[in-house]
Amino acid sequence: MEYILHLLILVGIYVMLSQSLNLAAGFGGLISMAHAGFYGIGAYTAALLATNFQLSFLVILPIAMLASGILALIVSTIALRTVDDYFIICTLGIQVVVFSLMNNWMSLTNGPMGIEGIPAVRLLGFDIESKWAFLLLTVSFVALVFFILKKLTDSSFGLTLRALSEDEIFTQSLGKNVYLSKIIAFTLSAMFAAIPGVLYAQYISYIDPTSFTIDESIFILTIVIIGGMRSLWGSFVASFVLVLFPEILRFLGMSNSIAANMRQIIYGIVLILMMFKYSKGFEINKKTV
Amino acid sequence: MQILINIIINSALFILISYSFSIIYYSTRFFNMTHATVFTCSAYFAYLFLVQLSFPIYLSVLLGIVCAAIVGILCEVVIYRPLQKRGASSMILMIASLGLYIVLQNVISVAWGDDTKSIRSGDIKAGYEILGAYITKTQIVTVAICLFIIVVCIFFMRHSRIGRNIRAIATNQELSNIIGIDSNKIILLAFCIGSVLIAISGLLVAFDRDMIPTMGFKWLLYGIVSMIIGGVGSTWGLVGGAFLLATAQHVGAYFIGSQWMDAIAYIILILFLIVRPLGFSGKLLKKTEI
Repeated sequence: MEYILHLLILVGIYVMLSQSLNLAAGFGGLISMAHAGFYGIGAYTAALLATNFQLSFLVILPIAMLASGILALIVSTIALRTVDDYFIICTLGIQVVVFSLMNNWMSLTNGPMGIEGIPAVRLLGFDIESKWAFLLLTVSFVALVFFILKKLTDSSFGLTLRALSEDEIFTQSLGKNVYLSKIIAFTLSAMFAAIPGVLYAQYISYIDPTSFTIDESIFILTIVIIGGMRSLWGSFVASFVLVLFPEILRFLGMSNSIAANMRQIIYGIVLILMMFKYSKGFEINKKTV
Repeated sequence: MQILINIIINSALFILISYSFSIIYYSTRFFNMTHATVFTCSAYFAYLFLVQLSFPIYLSVLLGIVCAAIVGILCEVVIYRPLQKRGASSMILMIASLGLYIVLQNVISVAWGDDTKSIRSGDIKAGYEILGAYITKTQIVTVAICLFIIVVCIFFMRHSRIGRNIRAIATNQELSNIIGIDSNKIILLAFCIGSVLIAISGLLVAFDRDMIPTMGFKWLLYGIVSMIIGGVGSTWGLVGGAFLLATAQHVGAYFIGSQWMDAIAYIILILFLIVRPLGFSGKLLKKTEI
């Protein structure tokens, strides 16, 4: 039972990650490989603040979101000078830089050894330690993020994003500020990615840089693509399937290290197959705008 | 002096990697991330033949290169060509290649394990001393081979029929098809040449340092960065980009520590995107096209 709760919490974290990426990648057409990096920034900010200053959860969360958002704002103003594949390369670069900061800035992040003994979430004077309570917290955040993203993407800003991901020049000719909208979308997406980061750090109570690698970014992107670009519900369902499905491997009696590799292989194959499906571009599955 | 030698070694490797990448990039116009796996594959196949099956060294090097090249070509035939036939854009192809990279890299992990492997024979020697700096025999061989191959390739691309056809495809695929160049065949040849070149560089790196299944990605990204900062589409720009990248990395490593090499590479890339978005040779970087 404990294990099932643990899996559900992980699913919740990935739902938030994939939905936040969907805002940039799906609606804005900004395929980002740096999402695990922003997730990691959220996690590290939370870990450092919680272990060193014993701050409460409600203080940590906005700070982590702000840290991730500020970084995203700075890098996106630069990276968004490029489009499509060059943009992907730039975000890959951001991901590698963030990872190398986590891995090498010994005095701050403790390098490859990671940070251990992160205190549990303290909310309104209560320590949330049991899995049930944490699941409840995760679910409520999933609902909150889902709600905000839904409102955001249905708003006129969401419409602008959809339009610019289909035809940038045309959108510009309608008087929309394309560059600014992209920056806002990218920054918001990074800020939302910090929320699961904070939850993850305080839930697992130990983090190290290997949780925030390029592979993780690709995995989150896989969830978004499988669930369908611009479909928040799709990301929701796809997170369930992709996080829970590899657990079957464990029941087949594979050793832990091989199961991890097999998981990656499955994700990779699924991603390639999806590319065959979407080979004419992602707009095939668009709904009426 | 030691820094200078390291710069020369690394820029030679960067040139080879980014050149092999650019051959494929020019003819197909997408970032083939699976190239990183070909790099790793050649090292691991050489390890299989040399250490596990104890073949003679020249044979296993040759087999390593051939097997890795076959992997590269299979990727093109099995995945990319069908995708391109269905009209995939370069971005779709790139994401597919990322997926393929993940698959193949984990296959290597399953087959050989995640731990560090070494195909260096014998114990580590200090190497030769030149003006107070050390250079090993492998490193001298590395530089020599890289420079030799680059010169041969540039010559080949300029003056042979196949080379000219590849460049024709790179410039304008439709027009090349009209005058009777079979673009599928030429792209396959480009994959073949590119894969052999990256396989050679993979082997050179493996003989000089140890290997892990994920090593290819880092080196490939260095190659891509030197291609972009050198200016896409120019061979001399690429050489300059590789040299600049290696210089910045080693000078940076000297002052702030060698663990920051990856970060330095990307900070240079980002600086170039701000100051000279066209690369220093001035060719066009893909921006919003009208």
